[in-house]
Amino acid sequence: MTRWGMVLDLARCVGCYACSVACKVENGTPPGVWFAPVYEKEVGKYPQVKRMFLPTLCFHCKDAPCLKACPTGAINKRPDGIVLVDQETCCGSRACIAACPYGALNFVEDRAGEFGPERLPVEEAIYNKAPVGTVQKCTFCAHRIDQGNYEPACVQTCPTKCRIFGDLDDPTSEVSRLIRNGNGLQARPEAGTDPSVYYLY
Amino acid sequence: MPNGNAFNQRWIMEPKRQTVWGVPHATWFFAMGVGGALYLNRFLFGIDLGRILGMSAADILGMILISIGGLILIADLGQPLRFWKALRNPRTSWISVGAICDFIFMGADVLYVLPSLELGGARPLAALPTGDGTAIGSLLQVVAAIAAFIVIVYPGLVLASTTAIPFWNTTLIPLQFLAYAFTSALGLAVLAGALGLSASDTAPILGPTALMLSVCLLLLVAHLLNAANARRTALASAQILLQGDLKLPFWAGCLVLGLAAPLALVLFALGTGPSAAGAALVVAAILTLPSNFLAKYCVIRAGLYAPFL
Repeated sequence: MTRWGMVLDLARCVGCYACSVACKVENGTPPGVWFAPVYEKEVGKYPQVKRMFLPTLCFHCKDAPCLKACPTGAINKRPDGIVLVDQETCCGSRACIAACPYGALNFVEDRAGEFGPERLPVEEAIYNKAPVGTVQKCTFCAHRIDQGNYEPACVQTCPTKCRIFGDLDDPTSEVSRLIRNGNGLQARPEAGTDPSVYYLY
Repeated sequence: MPNGNAFNQRWIMEPKRQTVWGVPHATWFFAMGVGGALYLNRFLFGIDLGRILGMSAADILGMILISIGGLILIADLGQPLRFWKALRNPRTSWISVGAICDFIFMGADVLYVLPSLELGGARPLAALPTGDGTAIGSLLQVVAAIAAFIVIVYPGLVLASTTAIPFWNTTLIPLQFLAYAFTSALGLAVLAGALGLSASDTAPILGPTALMLSVCLLLLVAHLLNAANARRTALASAQILLQGDLKLPFWAGCLVLGLAAPLALVLFALGTGPSAAGAALVVAAILTLPSNFLAKYCVIRAGLYAPFL
């Protein structure tokens, strides 16, 4: 059985935010909604200081706390491990946002566009997958996977190959090999969510 | 920022304040807790607030408060017209369990109290087989009591089941919610007695009120100590309450005016007798209400997500 997952090699990330923007273009997310943000952290003390970048996305947890917290059952997990929100069922309780340890879910609060309090017609067309009052999140670009393109937009765009996508259940896949050889770490393991995203330091 | 998630105010790895829940949730938790405890106090201990049109005032006020809590919950949804879908996932979602129990409580308690309705000296619904003293009525009371208990604790379980926010992730939260609910319900009973709205004697409930205030105080301190000895994010939440932007509502509202002052006033009334401490009892009883709300508000607002790497 396929379980899609991702490895994020922090040594390779240069903080260009190309993944964030590629995701935004691919998924047409409204202002303020980012499925693949890149966080920053300053490490060390002056003068030995460096900036560390932390690319993220939904971790598509095996034991997803958002799925458990959702009162409507709008959050579902596919057999291939991808966790999706059904916009038609979501009632906007935001229980999933509170439950997610990784800040991966976004609430679409109003109809604001990039250029004012109302969306332009072109924005309306682009953001039509984001009904106001519902929750959105990264889909691992499931629409691309379903069309046979096995790379999410963020992975395809990353210029340093920091993001590697593949089948965690296939021991010969690149992600499995990297996790094995590079000591891939899951974020906040104490949360017990078993994320499908691993970090390499 | 009009849209967004809990993390993207600043894309920096550090403990992040939760921003999705606030005043509406504290109000919802407060109303449901007090409403459920009013019913349970009447059912388990016979503590009523008087009669309204022949019906138990505790039951009526309990239903009104739980309805208000439910309406706040619905109004706060992003898609309020889809509220009924929130009943669909009781297997894993405490909100879903709570929403179902809200409806069960309302249905059972309405059927139980309606036969007592008095209009112009008559009881038009007395023939219903669901009232006091009937087998169905007894069953309905038990069902409503179980539902009321869940309605009181489920908001706390919603928070306690959130591993993302270490300050919430403790069983001390539902225990606090339970203790505060009974304290406020007892406070309302004391208030009704002190104002002469209830025929029942106030003296026997002063001891339990003092006990519940003490339990609330102990649980609050235990929660802070637990946070102080836990992971650093929970400690940071405790610091927000003690030294940060919530220090005024926490120290003044929750601790001094909400718990210490009413406890001192109730102990004073226990010493002098309720009739001699009428005004003090009224003040103490009223103070139990905002302290209950503020305790929930402070816990919710102090919630911090731990940095995930």
